[in-house]
Amino acid sequence: MVQVSYKISHSAYTKLLFHAAKYPHQPVCGVLIGSLSSTSSSKSVAVTDAIPLLHHWTNLSPIMSIGLDLAYVYAKSRALDVVGFYQATEQLNDLSLSPVGGIIASQIRQTFTETLALVIDGTRVASSEAALIPFFADGDRWKKHPSGFSPYSPFELQYATSPARALSLIREQSLHLKLGDFDDHLERVSVDWLQNDQCRDVAFKG
Amino acid sequence: MDLTSALQRLASYRAKQSRASADIVKDGELVLRKAGLTKLGDEEWAFLEQLALAAIDTGKLDVADDITDGYAIQACLERLAAKFPESPRVDVLQGIRMEATESSETVIRYYNTLLEADESNIAAWKRKISVLKSSGDIKTAVQELSTLLDTFYTDVEGWLELGSIYSSCNQYTSALQCLSHAMILAPQNAFYILEAAETAYSAADIPLALKFYLRVVEMLDEPPTSGTTPSRPEGPTLRAWYGVKLCVRDLLTSTSTASQSESQTTPPSEKHLKLLDELSTERILAAYSPSSSKAGEGPPLGRETVVKWLENTSSTS
Repeated sequence: MVQVSYKISHSAYTKLLFHAAKYPHQPVCGVLIGSLSSTSSSKSVAVTDAIPLLHHWTNLSPIMSIGLDLAYVYAKSRALDVVGFYQATEQLNDLSLSPVGGIIASQIRQTFTETLALVIDGTRVASSEAALIPFFADGDRWKKHPSGFSPYSPFELQYATSPARALSLIREQSLHLKLGDFDDHLERVSVDWLQNDQCRDVAFKG
Repeated sequence: MDLTSALQRLASYRAKQSRASADIVKDGELVLRKAGLTKLGDEEWAFLEQLALAAIDTGKLDVADDITDGYAIQACLERLAAKFPESPRVDVLQGIRMEATESSETVIRYYNTLLEADESNIAAWKRKISVLKSSGDIKTAVQELSTLLDTFYTDVEGWLELGSIYSSCNQYTSALQCLSHAMILAPQNAFYILEAAETAYSAADIPLALKFYLRVVEMLDEPPTSGTTPSRPEGPTLRAWYGVKLCVRDLLTSTSTASQSESQTTPPSEKHLKLLDELSTERILAAYSPSSSKAGEGPPLGRETVVKWLENTSSTS
């Protein structure tokens, strides 16, 4: 079997954390976009960015379905793929992929076989490690990857300093309040949920 | 930041019951620092309750500890308890404080004591259900909430919560039943109808979802009058128009499955569906029209993506 590895960009990592930090008492979810490159012996997925979708009614499907459609249109216009799904729950210690999350991830997998699902680990957000738990598809089910983000695991951050940097942007600059998701956009169409340039970390490229 | 505006903001958060906890703590600390409690008069009590809740919510259990005559949460609570002895409201606040640090068993035992003393303490009952839910005991939470709603049928918040728990377990038909109670109790509230529309869609009852979405736009969107530019849909209205577009697309493109309806709702005829398709496209585009941006707000963003999506989903393509 060909090994697939995943690399999470700084921009994607900070957006995931910002989304969870902006709505701490609500579940949030969104999609990961990026691209696949492969050689004969290995495949690697670069998760270059994230598009935050919902924080209201995350268990209901119509707005999710429209948001997902729009994310696909946007990714295509940038010559990128939708490569995964992420979510965070409102419970600090609930670290499983919700049933609805599994369904959406499986749906994305129909167009991108190497689809990844990430759950934000509320217990590790304040540490300097990656606060993400990777899930992979095993048939119809989604399972927690045994190795998680660690050295020599298939999952890594592009910049090891992203977690500490994200934390300081949240604590010192409240940059997470500037992030907007599709639900925010439906309330105010001036919210740029697809790119979220307003909360890009200017000190970082990528 | 000045004191008057901080106090105004705090009062407005209370009136709207906003869960803007981080802002409340920030404003609250300022009020404590600049005025102290004595100058607040009767507002003091509502303020203390608000600050205590917000501080617990943000995990700042030592809020204002560093201020000389400030109040830590415990002091807030003691002051309230001294002013209102045996107040169920203060008792529940004390329980919420316990939820932040104690085990769910301890907190449930505490709420049970409150309920034994006064079984009509609905706030304590709801907190108990909330603790059951967050500790993962969904089954008991649903049982308790159903019993609560048998006793207090008119509690809309309770019906919405029960519906939301059912949705989280993918039991959309049961969720829809809860929402229908909320809609009977508050028929003028378009948000409940919007939630019912989205729940019906999730339950794969597309004709019923379309009916609810249309009800929402009928209630919220201003009908065009001749000679004026049409209004720009926003907020729940825009959300509902997106929903109309989605339902119409499903009904027009797929043959039999989409028009199946557990609630026996008849979908509109193909001719009407096509008209609705045109109308929803027009209304969504109106929301993104560059000239329609409101004062103090930036221009609509992401229009190209929306236009492409509308083209892809158009029934004629």
